[in-house]
Amino acid sequence: MKKVMLLIILIMMAIVFTACGGENESSSASENEVSIWVHTSDETPEGEAMQSTIDRFNEENEGTYSAKIEFIPRSGAGGGYEDKINAALTTDTLPDVITLDGPNTAAYAEAGMIAPIGDYITNKDDLLPSIIQQGTYDDQLYAVGYSESGVGIFYNKQMLEDAGIDLSTLPTVDQPWDWNQFMELSETLVNTYDTAAIDMAFDDKSEWLMYAFSPFLWSQGGNLVSEDGSTAEGHFNDENSVKAFSFIQEMVKEGYTTITPVEKGFHTGEYPMKFGGSWTIAEMEDYPDVEYGVMPYPTSPDTNELVSPSGSWQYAMASSSEKQEAAGALIDFMTSTESLTEVTLANSVLPAAHSVVEEVQDKVSPQMNVLIQQNQKSAHARPVLPNYPQVSRVFQQAVSDAAYYEENSDVQELLDDKTGQMEKALK
Amino acid sequence: MNTNKRETLAAYSFLAPALILLGTFLVIPALMAIYYAFTDYYLLTPDQRQFVGLQNFIEIFKDPIFIQSLKNIVLFVAFVIPIQVGAALGLALLINKPRKGNIFFKVAYFSPVVLSLVVISVLWLYLLNPSEGLINSLLANIGIEAQPFLSSPKQAMLTIVFVSAWQGAGYQMLIFLAGLQNIPSTVYEAGKIDGVNKWQNFFYITLPLLKPTSVLIMITTLISAFKLIIQPMVMTQGGPMNSTMTPVYYIYQSGFSDRMIGYSSAMTVIFGIIIGIVTLLQSRLTKEDDI
Repeated sequence: MKKVMLLIILIMMAIVFTACGGENESSSASENEVSIWVHTSDETPEGEAMQSTIDRFNEENEGTYSAKIEFIPRSGAGGGYEDKINAALTTDTLPDVITLDGPNTAAYAEAGMIAPIGDYITNKDDLLPSIIQQGTYDDQLYAVGYSESGVGIFYNKQMLEDAGIDLSTLPTVDQPWDWNQFMELSETLVNTYDTAAIDMAFDDKSEWLMYAFSPFLWSQGGNLVSEDGSTAEGHFNDENSVKAFSFIQEMVKEGYTTITPVEKGFHTGEYPMKFGGSWTIAEMEDYPDVEYGVMPYPTSPDTNELVSPSGSWQYAMASSSEKQEAAGALIDFMTSTESLTEVTLANSVLPAAHSVVEEVQDKVSPQMNVLIQQNQKSAHARPVLPNYPQVSRVFQQAVSDAAYYEENSDVQELLDDKTGQMEKALK
Repeated sequence: MNTNKRETLAAYSFLAPALILLGTFLVIPALMAIYYAFTDYYLLTPDQRQFVGLQNFIEIFKDPIFIQSLKNIVLFVAFVIPIQVGAALGLALLINKPRKGNIFFKVAYFSPVVLSLVVISVLWLYLLNPSEGLINSLLANIGIEAQPFLSSPKQAMLTIVFVSAWQGAGYQMLIFLAGLQNIPSTVYEAGKIDGVNKWQNFFYITLPLLKPTSVLIMITTLISAFKLIIQPMVMTQGGPMNSTMTPVYYIYQSGFSDRMIGYSSAMTVIFGIIIGIVTLLQSRLTKEDDI
C-alpha cells in the first residue's frame, strides 16, 4: 500500500516538474510576446478587424515580436472590462497593452498605470490633433486613439423643404451657422410642425451631455477649468460659460428642443432634426424612406469658430510591462495607416489620422463625409483630467439643470453653484 | 470525551460551508470596507493607500449630494412603506377568499416580482413618457394635462415610489397570504357566534393575529427600501437636480465611477449604521405591545 502511495507521489512530482519545465521553455520562447486586452468582443466587426491586425503583426514580425489578443467585452458604459482592468491592477497582472476610453487617459497616467509611448509612435504628425490632445497628459503622449467619433446635426430633407427651407442654403463645414441662425431655422420648423425642431438626446443623462454639449462652451472661447486643470473658478462660471449655457437653456425654453424626446423621433418623422453620429447613420439604414442630410455644429456668434465633439477608445502601454519595446512596436503597428483604415471601415467610424481620411473618404456616404470633414477640422477632445468622472458629472448636471429654465432662470447663479462642486472635485 | 470531540468536529464541518461563504462574501468585505473608510484608497493606486483618520467622514457630512440623498431616501421610505405594504395586504385579502380565477390573480399580482428590476424600470420609462406614454394618454382622456412624471424634480421620486410599490407588493402579498391562512378558522367561528360585523372581524381578529407577519414584512421592506438603486439608475440617473439620488447609488457612483473607494467605503459605514439604528428602533417599537 505504501509503495503504491509513493509511486503515485513520484508520478505527481514528475508531472509537476515537467509542467514547470514546459512553462519555462514556452516563456523563454515568448520573451517578445506581448499580450493585449481589448474591450470588444471578437464577434464584432471592430474585434474582427483587431484580430486581423494582430495576425498581420505576427506575420510581419515573425522571429522578433509576437502578440496575443484577449477580448473582454465591456457591458454598457464600460462595466465588465474596466472592472477587469481594476482587478488586474490590484493583483499586478495587467497585460502589456490595454485599450482605454479617452477620458481615462489622465487618471491612468497620473496613477502610473500607463507609460509614455511618444518615442514609439512614428506617425504622430499624421494623427488628428484631437487624438493627440486626448492622449496627452503632462506634455507626454500616453495613449493613441484608433478611431474618432463626432456629432453632427441630422436633418430630414423632406421636412425642411416642406417648411420652405432651401436646402442649398444650409451650412457646411467651411461655412457653419452660428447659434442665432440655427435658432431661426428651429423657429421656422417649430412653427411648421408644432413640435420640437431637434432631438438633442437630453434624456440621455450620462456622458452624452458632456460629450455633445461641451463644444458649445469651447466655441464660445470658454473652458471648464483653467489651462493647468487646477481650478474651475473664473472659468466655468465666467461670461463665456454663461453665454454657452444660456444658449442651451434658450433652446429648451423656446421649445426648439425637448428634454423628453420621443424614442426614434427623428427616424419616424416626428422631429425634423437630431443630434447624431456615425452610429445614427447605421441606424438610419433601417429607415430607408427618410432622406436625410448632415450639417455641422452651430457656432458661437461671437467667435464663429466651429468646434465639434470627439473622443474614442485608445491603445496604451502598461507601465508594469517588461517588454516595452515590443509593446511600443505593437501600438505603433496598430495605429499605422493600414491598421487604422481596417478598423475604421470595419466599424463604420470616423478616421483618427489624416492619411486614413484620404483612404476612406471615397468609400463612405456623403453624410459620413460631413462628419469626417467636421471631425478633421474642428474636433475638440474632452479635458484630460485625473478627476474627469467628477468634472464631467458636474458638467452633465449643469446642462441638465439649465434645461429647467423655470427653476434655474439665473444661469450665472447655477454656474457659480456648479463651479463650487467642480472645484471640490479638482482638489 | 472522545465522542464529544468528534461530534463537535462533525458539527463544525457541517457548519463550515456556510461559515466560509459568509466569511468570504460578507464578514471579510464588511471589515475591509470599515478599514478602507479610514484611508484615502483611490481605485487606481491601491499601493499608495494611506490612513487618513476621520477625514472622509468629515467631508461626507459636508457633501451636499450625500445629505440630499439621505433626504431623498427618507422621503422614499416614508411613502413606499405604507403604499407597498397597504397594497400587499389589500391584495392578500382579496385573494384569500376562495373564488373563481384566484390563481390567475395570484400570478398576475406576483409576476412583477419575478421580472428583473431593470426590465420593470425600462417598461415604466415607456409607460411614463410624457409625449407618447400610455399613462399620459389615459390622463388626457379624462382631461388631465400631460404630467412630467420623471422629468420634474417634484414628481420624480414619487413616481419611483409608485413604480417600486407596484413591483414589490406581490412578494409581500404572498407572505401576508401565508399569514392569513395560518389564522385558525376557529377564531373566526367564535367571532361569528359573538356576532361581529365585517369591520370588527378585520380590525379585532385578522389584524392582531397578523401582527407577527406584519412585523417581519415591515422590517424586510424597510431594509430593502433603503437600498433603492436600480430604479433611479435606470429611470432618472439620479436626476432631475439630484432629486432621485439615493445613498446606495451615490456610494456606487463614488466608488466605481469616481474611483474614490475610501470615500465610498466611509459612506457605506455611515449608511450601514443608519440602517442598523432604524431597524433596531423599529423592532423595539413593534415589540413593546407584543402578544
